[in-house]
Amino acid sequence: MLAPLLMLLGCGRKPKSEQRVVDLYITTDGDFLVFLPDTLTCPTGALVRLTFRHAGKILSARHDWVLTYPGRLEALTKDSLDHDGILPTGDPLVIATTPLCDKGQTAMVEFIAPRPGDYPFVCSTHPEDMRGVLHVTS
Amino acid sequence: MKTRGIPALLATIGIALLVASPMVAQLKSPDDVKTALRLLVQVSNDFKRQITAKNFARLPHEYMEYTEAADALRSAVKDEPATFKGKVETRLKAAVAAYQKISEMSANAPDADKLMAEHGRAVTAMNAVFELFPADLRPDPNTPPGRGEAKN
Repeated sequence: MLAPLLMLLGCGRKPKSEQRVVDLYITTDGDFLVFLPDTLTCPTGALVRLTFRHAGKILSARHDWVLTYPGRLEALTKDSLDHDGILPTGDPLVIATTPLCDKGQTAMVEFIAPRPGDYPFVCSTHPEDMRGVLHVTS
Repeated sequence: MKTRGIPALLATIGIALLVASPMVAQLKSPDDVKTALRLLVQVSNDFKRQITAKNFARLPHEYMEYTEAADALRSAVKDEPATFKGKVETRLKAAVAAYQKISEMSANAPDADKLMAEHGRAVTAMNAVFELFPADLRPDPNTPPGRGEAKN
């Protein structure tokens, strides 16, 4: 008897917008300085769970995945090169980053997809070669 | 019957040898060789970039990666005939030694111009290794650093 009344009052309603979760997966092209894929897509506002795998087997180079703002790719690249690939904690150019991975390792990072646009990502230890774009859609 | 059989046998052996000889010339693990050669170029390009950026402290690490790529090439040719392996080893040793020299020079009063000149000599030594392999397996020096994919 109470249930219809509560429903009328809106107590039985689901939340207006549930957080959308998007799982993205990206890897290195073996030991080569290339992301596979180099283009990712997600909707704005989604909770992105990105898994990065360092698929190298030969070289001891370390890699990571670092997302920055549109138009800030070159600034981030300079920052990376100035710090030998170790970006300072809390770098304002960084939206999200995985830890550095050794060959064969996998790391995950979660972040809320920013407003629509094309967001560049790099590897902080090879920012001039390992590059890609995250397309955030509306 | 017998006399007709001998030339036929010889012809068969001759044809078999002709068919087999290009196979002998083929590499057992061409994909592994191609990967190793691309990695040598990739690391060499990184050497050059670190010298240009005067990031000399990074060069010993680059040298370590170069030795790893060289070991990958050794592993890729391990099942090849001994004479070929010997040629590869001789030239590869010379290339590795040239990159080691850059690494060592970077530790004592590094000079970007001198290191760059040394890098040029190291590239020449590396190219001597590449000359031992078929052209379609060699990295294309004109592709961007780190993407030394051979052009088809």
